[in-house]
Amino acid sequence: MAIGPIGIAANPASGKDVRRLVARASVFDNQEKCAIIRRAVVGAMAASAREFRFLPDTHGITEAALEEFATELHFEPVDSPATGSALDTTRAARGLKEAGCAVVITLGGDGTNRAFALGWHDAPLVPVSTGTNNVFPRFVEATIAGAAAGLIATGAVALEEVAKPTKVICVEIEDEKDDLALIDAVLTRQRFVGSRALLDADQLQLALLTRAEPSAVGVTAIGGLIQPVSEDADHGLLLKMGEGGDIVYAPIAPGLYQDVSVRSVAAVSPGERIEIRGPGVLAFDGERERILKPGQKAWLRLERNGPRVVDTQRTLELAACRGVFRRKSTGETDAH
Amino acid sequence: MAEAQTTEARTLPYVAAITEGIRQVLLEQENAFVAGEDVAGAGGVYGSFKGLLAEFGERRVIDTPISEAGIIGLGVGAAATGCRPIIDLMFMDFLGECMDEVANQMAKMRFMFGGAAQLPITVLTMAGAGLNLAAQHSQSLEAWLCHLPGLKVMMPATPYDAKGSIIAAARDSNPVFVILNKMSLGLPGEVPEDPYEVPIGVANIVRPGTNFTIVAFGRMLHEALTAAEDLKADGIDTEVIDPITLQPFDTDTVIDSVKKTHRAMIVHEAVRFAGFGAEIAAQIQELAFDYLDAPVARVGAPFSPVPFSPGLEPHYVPNAKTIAAEARRTLGL
Amino acid sequence: MTSQPNDDTLRDMHRRMVRIRHFEETAGKMMEDGKIPGALHLYVGQEAIAAGIMVHLADTDQITSTHRGHGHLIAKGGDFNRMYAELFGKATGYCKGKGGSMHICDMDLGMLGANGIVGAGPPIAVGAAFANKFKDNGAVAVTFFGDGASNEGSVHEAANMAGLFKLPIVMVCENNGYGEYTAQKNHQAIVDVADRAAGYGMPGVVVDGMDVVAVYEAAGEAIDRARSGGGPTLLECKTYRYYDHVGVRGMGLSYRTDEEVMEWKKRDPIDLFEARLSEQDIMSKDDMAAVHETVKGELDVAIQFANDSPMPDPSTLLDDVYYVA
Repeated sequence: MAIGPIGIAANPASGKDVRRLVARASVFDNQEKCAIIRRAVVGAMAASAREFRFLPDTHGITEAALEEFATELHFEPVDSPATGSALDTTRAARGLKEAGCAVVITLGGDGTNRAFALGWHDAPLVPVSTGTNNVFPRFVEATIAGAAAGLIATGAVALEEVAKPTKVICVEIEDEKDDLALIDAVLTRQRFVGSRALLDADQLQLALLTRAEPSAVGVTAIGGLIQPVSEDADHGLLLKMGEGGDIVYAPIAPGLYQDVSVRSVAAVSPGERIEIRGPGVLAFDGERERILKPGQKAWLRLERNGPRVVDTQRTLELAACRGVFRRKSTGETDAH
Repeated sequence: MAEAQTTEARTLPYVAAITEGIRQVLLEQENAFVAGEDVAGAGGVYGSFKGLLAEFGERRVIDTPISEAGIIGLGVGAAATGCRPIIDLMFMDFLGECMDEVANQMAKMRFMFGGAAQLPITVLTMAGAGLNLAAQHSQSLEAWLCHLPGLKVMMPATPYDAKGSIIAAARDSNPVFVILNKMSLGLPGEVPEDPYEVPIGVANIVRPGTNFTIVAFGRMLHEALTAAEDLKADGIDTEVIDPITLQPFDTDTVIDSVKKTHRAMIVHEAVRFAGFGAEIAAQIQELAFDYLDAPVARVGAPFSPVPFSPGLEPHYVPNAKTIAAEARRTLGL
Repeated sequence: MTSQPNDDTLRDMHRRMVRIRHFEETAGKMMEDGKIPGALHLYVGQEAIAAGIMVHLADTDQITSTHRGHGHLIAKGGDFNRMYAELFGKATGYCKGKGGSMHICDMDLGMLGANGIVGAGPPIAVGAAFANKFKDNGAVAVTFFGDGASNEGSVHEAANMAGLFKLPIVMVCENNGYGEYTAQKNHQAIVDVADRAAGYGMPGVVVDGMDVVAVYEAAGEAIDRARSGGGPTLLECKTYRYYDHVGVRGMGLSYRTDEEVMEWKKRDPIDLFEARLSEQDIMSKDDMAAVHETVKGELDVAIQFANDSPMPDPSTLLDDVYYVA
């Protein structure tokens, strides 16, 4: 009855960048990521999943995590050379897709899931947060995330029942390869990618948001505190920064509120192309990623064809209705 | 206490003399601080830092983690950047935990940097057996330190010398180890109230004599003095010299004495083999060979770790009787 | 909040990196030609770290270095003449010929010495940071150590004390993937040394050590935090040592592949930075070439100075063992 194996993509670099200082957070250590994978696997096994595919990361996190299940499970790495960059996650996404994974558990923050979606646009995801900025992945206990993934992988719950494609921003850059953002795409006045962090509101020029969440952190919150837009709504929001409009006091990064001058706010429909021009740096989901040279053009476009994010609560509710974890007592003490 | 006009000596125990010396350094030098394990809240495991936290506050009297390498390193770094740290190494036996900081950093930094660094750091530490603390809390390892160019090493035996050594060490702009003795903590002695220095590198002729020289340091000074009294019965008029400072060593005072007495013995608590006494003996034969009427004798601990048992430890550490016996043997009495 | 580097800062960092690169390339060649006595540990490949950090520091801020220390001194403002004189063992050197490469220092610049003992720097930097806090002088100490050194007890002790006393210090791990000749995977169970930060009660940050702007930004945050009383940070910079542990070709041991070296060289910190500077019209190719030429000229002068300088007089052998008032 299995639909396909469960993919695991853990980003060893998540939760360690310079935003940790601003966020007053300590480092998210890889031993804990390893433990999270183990708990997720336990959850998936409880739902009778036995097949796993994984991204062989430079830190060996997933391999180390799976080692203890060697006799009970079948797991294989997807063939992808580890480079220690975000490219690993993107390549792994392609590999996991080719391997026919029914669902993928990602460990990371917004940046990790973005890199994953670059390789597999509408990937079925159970994102577990181990990053610094987390709008996309939900805070969910890994055991339950694993159980939800297991239910999908075994077919106990159909993906279509608990997930629909998310909105994303497709980014075209003149003479260069395309890119993608899950939550927000921002043009900044900065000149370097540097430490990637987006910590200076004065540098923001323009932002396109797939959702504007007042209770989230990041550029999405700027819009969210003016005109909330949910993931369910079909439109997105375009913010142009500058004097003449409102000043919003927003948490632009974890642990960091700043005043942001917003000149204008406008709803944006799917398919609408927004042209921007360099010089500047494009930041996606809170991290500076691409440099635009002077005069170089780029286009931002909202689409609803992004990753299908599994609603873990709904998944477990359906499992409960269907009695997946329930059996009749034989009257004797009885182990699973 | 610095303002006191009297230098009248009072009787203080060794431990109180240590405290007074540190206290007067803290009063005198605004960049001085004390750091070590249990020195602040607890006042030191021997009570030698008692009251200092209350008087000087936690900025200047600092409890550290049990991290000897870290503490000594902290002292080296702070000294190189303008402070005058007094670092406590609770037991001398813990030198092994921080020997790199002592031997490769503290001792050599000034030389390696061509004189560009100045390291006014004082390290206080406790040596000595006698309290059944066994092999890792009873050693006398002064020879380890004396072998390192760049360090000064003092080993005061009396309350007077303890206070004066600490003040002299803290005023010196070199790394100075002041090796104290844990068996002597209650030893009473006259100690002037005002600050004073026991000059570094100057030996003290504690007991003048005419026909036999004993060089003894640390707690062995007191045993040697008792032995000297005993030897009087055999017509031996012993001169007892306490070098107080082992590095730099006051060779002149010892040689002058030997030239007068023609016979010499060195007494220390450390293991005799390759102990600091070997260096003194070598210097005597080099510089006063023609004056010697007997081989230079040495008394020290046997070549063994310090034992624990009350049945063994007294047989390990030299005492007045064993010193007198060895003196008689070497003098042919 | 550290702002982005302005054009002057960018040019300053470029110059510091170029100074290190040419100094080291020249020194490595001279060592292997037998013109420099003893052993040199070259910093080539790691320039972005020293430059991106040191540009934030004043002479009153202190650093402790490692056996691979030339780059740190150069980035802190070290004088080529006195450096080369020291490498040659001359009387005019930084240490009057007493220290050489592994103990090169400049106390006036707050450079508290390269160090021949792996892991010895952090406790000393903790002492400097302690003195800064004691004197309330607003200065920051930065200690550099490698992935290899991170396994030394002295580094743990120092880090613990830095966290405990909330000292103004940044602990910079230059993770070049090798402890001498042993790959990281064979010398520790973790890949990110920054993972240990939580155990010391401080934040840990990982940054791309081949990208000088990334280092600049992360170091700026950490240094500001230290300076304003926020306490220490463990800043791990991922980098690579182009040459051998010692020298250029060094001992000729086979412990890594040429492919691996080539792979890292594709992300050469100076090449990467120069491409960006040029793209952004901050420096033209000619501007950059002029920097290289000027630095080479300064090196020629320094080597001449070192050559012309006298050996230390044997009578100075015992000088500076002790301070004499």
